[in-house]
Amino acid sequence: MEKVDLLVVGGGAAGMSAALAAASAGPVSVLLADRETRLGGILPQCIHHGFGLGYFRRDLTGPEYAGRIIAQMEGAAVSVRLNTTVLSLSQRRTAELSGPTGYETISFRRLILAAGCRERTIGSLPVTGTRPAGVYTAGLVQRMLNLRHWKPGRRALVLGSGDLGLIVARRLALEGCQVVGVVEQKGSCGGMVRNYRSCLMEQNIPLITKATVTRLHGEGRLTGVTLRRLDSGKEERVACDTLVTALGLIPERELLAGLGDKVPGWASLCGNCDYVHDIVDTVTTQAEELGRQVGLELLGRG
Amino acid sequence: MERYDVAVLGGGLLGCFMARELRRYPLKVVLAEAREDVCTGISRANTAIVYTGCDTRPGTLKTRLCVEANRGFDTLCRELGVPFSRRGSLMVSYGPRADRVLQNKLLQGMENGVEGLRLLSGREAEEQERGLAPGVSSALYAPGTGVADPWGLCYAAWENALANGVAPWLGAPVTDLLPEHGGWRVVTLRGELWAAAVVNCCGLHADQVQELAAPPSVRISPEKADYLMLDEGAGNYVGHVIFHEPEEKGKGLTLVPTLEGKLLLGPTEEGAAGPASATTTAGLGRLRQLAAQVAPQLDLNLTIRSFAGVRPRPYSVVSARSIHDFTITNPARGLWSLIGIKTPGLTCAQALGAWLAPQVAETLGRREPDPTFRPERKAPVRPRTMSREERAALVARDPAYGRILCRCGGITEGEVRDAIRRGAVTLDGVKRRVGTGLGRCQGSFCTDRVMELLSRMLGAPPEDLWKDGPGSRLLTGGRYGEG
Repeated sequence: MEKVDLLVVGGGAAGMSAALAAASAGPVSVLLADRETRLGGILPQCIHHGFGLGYFRRDLTGPEYAGRIIAQMEGAAVSVRLNTTVLSLSQRRTAELSGPTGYETISFRRLILAAGCRERTIGSLPVTGTRPAGVYTAGLVQRMLNLRHWKPGRRALVLGSGDLGLIVARRLALEGCQVVGVVEQKGSCGGMVRNYRSCLMEQNIPLITKATVTRLHGEGRLTGVTLRRLDSGKEERVACDTLVTALGLIPERELLAGLGDKVPGWASLCGNCDYVHDIVDTVTTQAEELGRQVGLELLGRG
Repeated sequence: MERYDVAVLGGGLLGCFMARELRRYPLKVVLAEAREDVCTGISRANTAIVYTGCDTRPGTLKTRLCVEANRGFDTLCRELGVPFSRRGSLMVSYGPRADRVLQNKLLQGMENGVEGLRLLSGREAEEQERGLAPGVSSALYAPGTGVADPWGLCYAAWENALANGVAPWLGAPVTDLLPEHGGWRVVTLRGELWAAAVVNCCGLHADQVQELAAPPSVRISPEKADYLMLDEGAGNYVGHVIFHEPEEKGKGLTLVPTLEGKLLLGPTEEGAAGPASATTTAGLGRLRQLAAQVAPQLDLNLTIRSFAGVRPRPYSVVSARSIHDFTITNPARGLWSLIGIKTPGLTCAQALGAWLAPQVAETLGRREPDPTFRPERKAPVRPRTMSREERAALVARDPAYGRILCRCGGITEGEVRDAIRRGAVTLDGVKRRVGTGLGRCQGSFCTDRVMELLSRMLGAPPEDLWKDGPGSRLLTGGRYGEG
């Protein structure tokens, strides 16, 4: 069985920075596993600006931000296994890894879980009606547009006005999709003011506050949704062939589920998997601090 | 025109098993299905429960087949390489009216020949199922109740039918049925074929298809039911299938711990209103209300999906009354129809085929078994059910089984590739075969990966891919970079 001092799960901003910091603390063996075919986590699909103002003091795109950290990975004492999923963990500090190069068990002394988030989906809302094609999470739409170069729809409604919802609304508009509105339950926009301005105002996309979607229509492809005004209770049908849900992020901690109620002492959470950060810069800072600390502890100097 | 001994119309659970069972006899069989794939109609959504046969009246065909089918279900699933779990069920009551219902079911079940039935006290039931709301007055324990994989079973029957030489006619909705040369000319949108006998298993449309060739006798009124699926955290909430028999009239809650470790709630009981497969506020509200009543500690925030299923309720055209037994008509020589087969249709799908096939064979003068028939289907590769060593060896042989494509279900690229080779041509065709997109992320992370694989293996641009059949294109925005 392969043995490492530190196993890092996830190769996004958090995982990379934690691994780098741990490796630079001294001679510790660090293995980073990521299920994607490349490093960077969610950043490569975030092709908009606004990253790095805090950490790099530059306005970077997601891929640029990721690229700067990936560059540090080259030559660092971190072994990286891409295309590899950590399937389970045991109390004996072993992990089952699966990837095209093999299925193996690895033993480790410490673990940093930096697996990021998934999105809340429409299934968690009391939305009735049919289950047609054309209902996607914002992250999936972003991946379709920016990484796959696929255009999901012609006429879209976005549910949820957090930053991700706003950014995806603009991306859709820029690709020629008519965005009929961004719907928000609360009385005002959920995302940052700068995103509200650049994504909605500049694109002439209306923000529909105090409203939600209650029903889906369409047998094959989505043909429309029922929009409910939360103050008046009035319902109206909005025609659209795409519903983008931006309902919030849920940390992916399922790997820890089998290990009891408490996070074991040998495991640490990092990045959005710990708590959802507003910007990536604080993810990097937090991860570096954690990685350094874990590195020193592994060297007996913690 | 292609000529066959038997044409099976409809590729749901009934049609696929009918075709398979017919092949036990030396018959040339074709299966014509309207859609691009099998398992796309009412077989899509049900409770996955394999019933024991204590819910139906003694002496009916439904009861006889259900009791027999239940006994043989382990063997059937082993033969076809599909998972099955005999979890047993508790039917629970909370008062005198429901207590009486349970007592009657016990007697009825015993009369029907169901084994192992036992009435438990409320306390015994509460000790076995700690998640139940307190105050259980009695419970009917049925050890034979099982949970199956309805989709897996349908595809397994189909693949076994194909392996035994059944000819597939997919994308072939039947538009006419004409008597010709002592048999039937079957007109479909894919072309015409001739068959000496026709078995109509067209689910919700079985009445319409029969009426292409015979006067109306039984019609179907679709009934809709809503369901909630809860994520793995809820899968252990109960150990048995729970049927809640409410004190007031009406349908109670059913809780089904699924084979994948999730928890299914439902079905509701509703008439047919609106589009056939749309959930309603009333239906989902009723489920939540019942759940709060019967399973008070169940965390409904774990809900990952709500969906609707449709059941064909048969009624007589003459009396306008509902028909409660299985309806198998033989309105003309060489034409049989299975009309309005609902619960326990999943339990009885194979048994119905096995019951009717010899009659069809007899009519055609071919009642000797075909020695070349093989009932076994090799189970698809499922790395997550293998031991560590087997899995390592598998990945070493074929790296595609190492690459995890669906993170929630731990499903590999190799399995998705196999699903496409096995006949999946849509996103949901893959989903129903291997389980991608059924987990907590509901396809957020795997949809584009499955689409990429479908596109590559089918040689179709992603813009042409369907979620689930005609009209369900996944990408409608046109080519990238064009407007």
